[in-house]
Order: sequence, then structure tokens, then C-alpha cells
Amino acid sequence: MAGVRRRIQTLLTLAYMNGIVPMRTQPLYLLGVLASPLSFLFFVTIASGGKLFLTSVAGGMVLTMVSIGTSLQTDMSHYRQDLKLQDLLVASPVEAPVYVAGMALSELVYSLPGIVVFAVLWLHYAPVTPFSVGSAIAILLLVWAFASGLGFTMATYFADVRETFIFSTLVSLGLSVVPPVYYPVSFLPANLQPFAYLSPTTYAADLMRNAFGLESLSIRAIATDWGVLISFTIVLIGIAALKAQWRET
Amino acid sequence: MQATPAPARSTSVPGDAAIVARNLSKRYGSARKGVDALSEVNLTIPRDRIYGLIGRNGAGKTTFVRIAGTQLLPTSGSLTVLGHDVLTEASTIRLSIAAVPQESRPLYFLNVDELIFLYLMTRGMERREARRRTDSILEELSLAPVRKRLVSHLSGGMRRRAMVAMVLASDADVIFLDEPTTGLDPFARREVWAAIRRAKREHRTVLLTTHYLDEAEALSDRLALIEAGQVKVEGTPTEIRDRVRLPYRVSVQGGFVRSELEPFGEVSAFDGGFLVFAREKDARELAMAALSRGARVALGPVSLEDIFLQIVGRPLDDGMDAETEA
Repeated sequence: MAGVRRRIQTLLTLAYMNGIVPMRTQPLYLLGVLASPLSFLFFVTIASGGKLFLTSVAGGMVLTMVSIGTSLQTDMSHYRQDLKLQDLLVASPVEAPVYVAGMALSELVYSLPGIVVFAVLWLHYAPVTPFSVGSAIAILLLVWAFASGLGFTMATYFADVRETFIFSTLVSLGLSVVPPVYYPVSFLPANLQPFAYLSPTTYAADLMRNAFGLESLSIRAIATDWGVLISFTIVLIGIAALKAQWRET
Repeated sequence: MQATPAPARSTSVPGDAAIVARNLSKRYGSARKGVDALSEVNLTIPRDRIYGLIGRNGAGKTTFVRIAGTQLLPTSGSLTVLGHDVLTEASTIRLSIAAVPQESRPLYFLNVDELIFLYLMTRGMERREARRRTDSILEELSLAPVRKRLVSHLSGGMRRRAMVAMVLASDADVIFLDEPTTGLDPFARREVWAAIRRAKREHRTVLLTTHYLDEAEALSDRLALIEAGQVKVEGTPTEIRDRVRLPYRVSVQGGFVRSELEPFGEVSAFDGGFLVFAREKDARELAMAALSRGARVALGPVSLEDIFLQIVGRPLDDGMDAETEA
């Protein structure tokens, strides 16, 4: 029981340390979390004459969650290589899965102000039901989970934190800019649409638009989207768990 | 660490030992092209003592500390911490250890108080106890006046002191300090020394690596000199001095050519003059001869630095900038 209490305390302390404290000491950095999602919202809304405003709000939420993965990747690389934080924590009762979970939770906490901005826009401009809110939260938590798994896994590969910046850009491009996150998949040419379904964010955005009432998916399509999204999450978390080794060889 | 003869294959742990290494080896890279960082190291580090590992950069000190700190796997051999094997019982060991890694830096967005308090909380310490220990160590290491200052606004020395404060405030039984006072001014170094000594009084074991031989001598109950992954000499500072074949040093400036000094002992060029390691009788004779010739002369017992020079053949800081620690 003491072990469980210790693990929960470690998890929450890490979330506070890397999530809440930076908000207080570096509030301007919060704008960085919002910069990309709000920029896309602005441009897509303008370019579509306002028709894709709510689609972009839904996409903005997904992109904010994807950004958690890239932030986690950058933070963990920086803390491991430059600050030697990982070495410091290895030689302590902190366990690797608790560290990864705590850091992922901290990134979620740090992104909450961004999600709140999009949630306010959603509540203000579209009808909301408890079911749609519950669906959106579940979808976003899955995106958070697979993005964190991906971010942590990639962080284990880089020898220099500068490499992570390049990869972060590629991840954003591949998971949230190119795939139909800010626009419906039907906007893509028919021969490109199958490629869109290689990205887990396509399924998440599909479900978000459904939750927003912007699309009416069939039960089968909804089940497929959830199934694929959950599968992606399990696989990426599984890979991250395999990579989560405290000790160097 | 005592240079005890290694049993062929033993997992027995002396009752008063905190860390026991047997035939410990670490090779970085492949079997063919790799580099040996540690070779068949046998060491026994007693409990409740301060143990110093000294050696040049790349000698293997950090590799040893990282294996003992469960951060790195050995290639062969065994190592136990408080009787637990680093290979099979790492989780148990981690409940009882704390480390300040070499070149580690604090999270820049925390203030000094948060850095220490949150570290203790991540270790699972009860909140009230973490607060008490944080306040105590801040006072002890003169960090209280800057407790609310962001660590990113501190000097390099103050940051290092804050890192050391973190682990000394912990409840770990074994503490690893890898170059803990690098970058500190003399006053701050002595404050850290005092805190390390307090850890010993609290019946904790401190394994310390350092380039500062005065620090190693001032703090350590026992010392080991590592060179090229092997323990060259081990014992208390007094024992190490007693083992030296030529226990006196005479520095001579002017009045002699090298060949005139060689009958007195081992001669090396030093600071525009010569340094002679000699037995007591020869050292006295040389000093008298130097005085009679009007040369500048100084005589005294050898320092750890001198011993290092005698054993390794080059000074501790030779090549320090060019090499990186293994």
C-alpha cells in the first residue's frame, strides 16, 4: 500500500513540477501551446469563409493533444541529455513507468489552457450535450495517450535535443497538418483519401466532428474509428513501455 | 574500497560493507573495437563512511559510480549495494540511494526551494518531513537567502550547491556525489564539505568522486586511485602515504642541474625548477646542499598529488581538458 501511495505521489509531483510550475514562472510560454492550433483555426476559417470554423475548433483540440507528444519528446530528450535528470531519478525510488506517466500528465496539464480556449469556442458556437462532451474527452485522452507514447519512444532515439526539433516539425506535419484534421477527409482527392487513414489523427478528427455534430457517421464507421484509434494507442504505448528502460547497457 | 583479493565467484557481502565490487568490468562499444572503462575492479566500500574515488578524466570513476547507482549495466563481474545485486535487485537498491550525476543541472524553471522540496516529494517522502528537511538543508548550505530565486538566475556554483543539497536532504542510506564541488568557490566548497560530513554523522555512506585531491583527503575516510579502469592504490589517506616508497618532496629552484639531483631520488621538472621525491635522509641532505648553494628550496611530506604523480607517472590534470569522463 505504501508503494502505491509513493507512486501516486511521485506521479502527481512530476505533473505539478513540469506542468503547473512552468505555467506560473513562464506564463508567456503558454502562448506557444496555443500558437499553432489558433493559427490554423484562423487561416482555415478565413480561407473557408467561415464554413470550417467549427471543424477547425475540433481540429485545434486534436492538434493541441498531438503537440503534447512533441513537447514530451523534446522535454524528455532535453532533461535526459542536457540536465541528466534521468540519471538523477534512476538512482532514486522513482520507477521508469511512473516517470513517463508523470511527465505525460505534466504535458497534459500544461496544455489544458489551450483546450479550455477551444472548449469555450465550442460551447459558444455549437450545441453541446453530455454525450458529445464525454465523447470528446475520451477521444482527446486517447490522442494524448498515443501522442505521449510516440513522443517518449522517439525521445529515446535522439542523441541531441536539436534533432528532436526537426522531428517535432515532421510529426506535426504528418499527424495534424497534412491529414484531414482541420478539414473533412472528403476535401482530399479520392486517390489520396486512403493515405489519410494511415494517420491515427484522421480517426480522432472524424470522431471529434461526429461529437461536434458536424458529420453524421454510421455506427459501423464510429466503431471502426474507435477501434483503430484504440489500437494505435495500445501499440504506441506498448512500444513506449518496451523502450522505457531506466538503465543503459 | 579495500583492495581485497577477489574470490573467484562470490556473492558474500561483508557485514560492514555498503558497496562490494568483484571482478567488475565495463566495456563500451563492441568486443573488438570497444574501450575498457573498468577492468576487473575489486573494491569494498565500508558503511557509514565517506569514500573518495580519485583519478583523471576517463579513468573510470564515473563508470563505477553509474554502475553502483544502477544507471549502467556492467559487462561482467558483480556489484552489490547494501547487500543487493545491481543486476537482479536494482529496484530494492533504488529505495536507498541518491545521486548527483556529473554535469547534472537543475530544472531551470524551479526556484531553489522547489528544487529540493519537489525532489524529496518525487522520492515519496512525507510532505511535512520533506518541508522540514528542505528548510534544514537550505540553512546549512547557506541557500536560505536565495530559496525563492529561480535556479536559472543562480551562478553555476550556486546551482551545483543546490543539486548537492537535494540529495543530502534525502533519506538515502548511500549517496553518490560525482564531482560535487566542481565550479564552487573555496567558501562554498567548505560548506558542502560540512554537509557531506554531516551525512556521515547520520550514518550514511557517501561515495565521492573528485578531481580535487585536497577535497578527497579532507573528506574521505578511505580513498581509491583509479587509472585506466584499474585500482592502483587504496586505503586511508595515512595508509596511502605510508605505502609511498619516497615519502618526502623537495622542490629546488636554481643551483643544480638535473644529473646532480638524481642520486637523491626521483627527479622531475617542475615550475622552472625540479621536484625530487626522496627518502627522509636524502631529502634532508638535498635541502642542506641546496641551502648551501643559495638555491630556493622547500621540503615536506608528499601530497596526494605527488603520490598520484609517482603512481601514474603524470599529474592528475594532465589532459583533463582533452578527455571526457568515461
